[in-house]
Amino acid sequence: MSEIYDIGYRHYDGPRLGRHHTVLALGVHSLRGVFGLGRPARSKIMPFSLAAIMMFPVVVSIATMAMIQQRVGDYSGYAVVMQAVVAIFLASQAPTVVAPDLRHRVLPLYLSRPVTITEYVGAKVAAMTVALFLLVAVPLTVMFVGDLLVDMPGPPPTGEYLGAVTMAAVLAVLLSTVGLALAALTPRRGLGVASVITVYLLSTGAAPMIYAALYESGYRSAGAWGWLINPFWLVDAAQVWLFGSTAHIPDGAYPGGPAPILIVLALIAAAMAVLSARYRKAASQ
Amino acid sequence: MNTVVAGITYRALLGRRRVVLLLLLPLALIALALMFSFFGGGDQRTAVLLMQNFAIGTLLPLLGLIAGTGVIAPEIDDGTIIHLMSKPISRPLVAWTKFAVAASLVAVFAAVPTYLAAWILVGNEDGIAAGFALGTLVAGIAYAAVFLLLGVVTRHAVTIGIIYALVWESLVGSLVPGAKRFSIQQWGQTVADQVVTSPFFEAEVTLAFAVPALVVVTVAAVFWAGRRLRVFSLTGDE
Repeated sequence: MSEIYDIGYRHYDGPRLGRHHTVLALGVHSLRGVFGLGRPARSKIMPFSLAAIMMFPVVVSIATMAMIQQRVGDYSGYAVVMQAVVAIFLASQAPTVVAPDLRHRVLPLYLSRPVTITEYVGAKVAAMTVALFLLVAVPLTVMFVGDLLVDMPGPPPTGEYLGAVTMAAVLAVLLSTVGLALAALTPRRGLGVASVITVYLLSTGAAPMIYAALYESGYRSAGAWGWLINPFWLVDAAQVWLFGSTAHIPDGAYPGGPAPILIVLALIAAAMAVLSARYRKAASQ
Repeated sequence: MNTVVAGITYRALLGRRRVVLLLLLPLALIALALMFSFFGGGDQRTAVLLMQNFAIGTLLPLLGLIAGTGVIAPEIDDGTIIHLMSKPISRPLVAWTKFAVAASLVAVFAAVPTYLAAWILVGNEDGIAAGFALGTLVAGIAYAAVFLLLGVVTRHAVTIGIIYALVWESLVGSLVPGAKRFSIQQWGQTVADQVVTSPFFEAEVTLAFAVPALVVVTVAAVFWAGRRLRVFSLTGDE
């Protein structure tokens, strides 16, 4: 299956790793790029300082657990509380995954090897998903380990922790597909950052406004749907339905039932469709 | 003002898909205003809330960011700024021209929609529409200048600008009272307060501080951007 480009100078008779290895290499390369590994120091500043900010609540939480035997903040609400940092990470790093290949028009070079568009897009999405999952799940895990080591009175909140990590994976898939789809629309990095953050801030700003407008004019159950515009609250609503955690919104409640998780799946499918359409066009240029 | 540079910059920002990004925010504001008035929430309290939280709090910094960095950062990013730098046009003049373009875009895409949104909700009551349009205009001009400077100084201008707008203006500004004095949004609200006579709105910073601060920040940022352009050196891509 795999092919070695033989231009007649020197023959290759080493091991042939197959096309899965190609996709894996592309994914690992993209994942390293998200964190600026293998790039100059100034590319590492942003991802690592944002990852460090994600650890602040963990440090505070472990310190208060150790000193005054109290939990501040819960596992299920961690992603919602830190949503601005996660969104900035997504906005600043998503273009670094997709923009350079589009700008330098090297996609036909990739596709001249046994890599299909689906595998290329899959590797990019997987890299961003793993990066976002690590960003949220590592602090959660450190907090849980701290919780176990401090040995708080009562049983450890294992169920809540596992639910939060599961939802971190769902959130990572949702954010990476939508974020990459938005970032891939432009080959310029700055515009990619701006378009991702614009969509996030619009959803965050509009959600409470829509809720308030509908709630105050009597459409109370309709107002609850307003919260689902924001991706973090959408995933939180799915968590409430799946794991029975408390809702982390300023006011009101989410609409119950499986609707939030269905919306998440629909959004992921739509973003993947946009991505593959975009790359099919880019490949033919 | 160099009209050729201005024309090229307008074309770069308004061409093709990029204008969608600039249109998205004002359209969302007007859509929210229409929704409020449709569901009967068209009172002064709602209008002030929408103006403070959405028009000045979300739309304005984002538009300032997109316009302010958009006039220069993409050119630096892909290296085409070298063609502009090699022309016999003084670099401070380039900075002033780019600033004028960014400021005009903020006026069209932030101040005008703000007026429209407030007008949809409450008409011309108590000067809410005119006041917030004025506040958005002056604060937007200051944002355009600051983010233009940021675009010249660093390649991560958009990310740093977002962190400034989100963390400093929203988070620190709402937690630490003293930090409010050093927030462009608050200065804009002070200017708006001079026209708005609604009892639901009160600015936190005095006019005697806000106006000099706006002028100093705007002029200093554009001046410094011009200075930075004079000693500008293109560094390699990462």
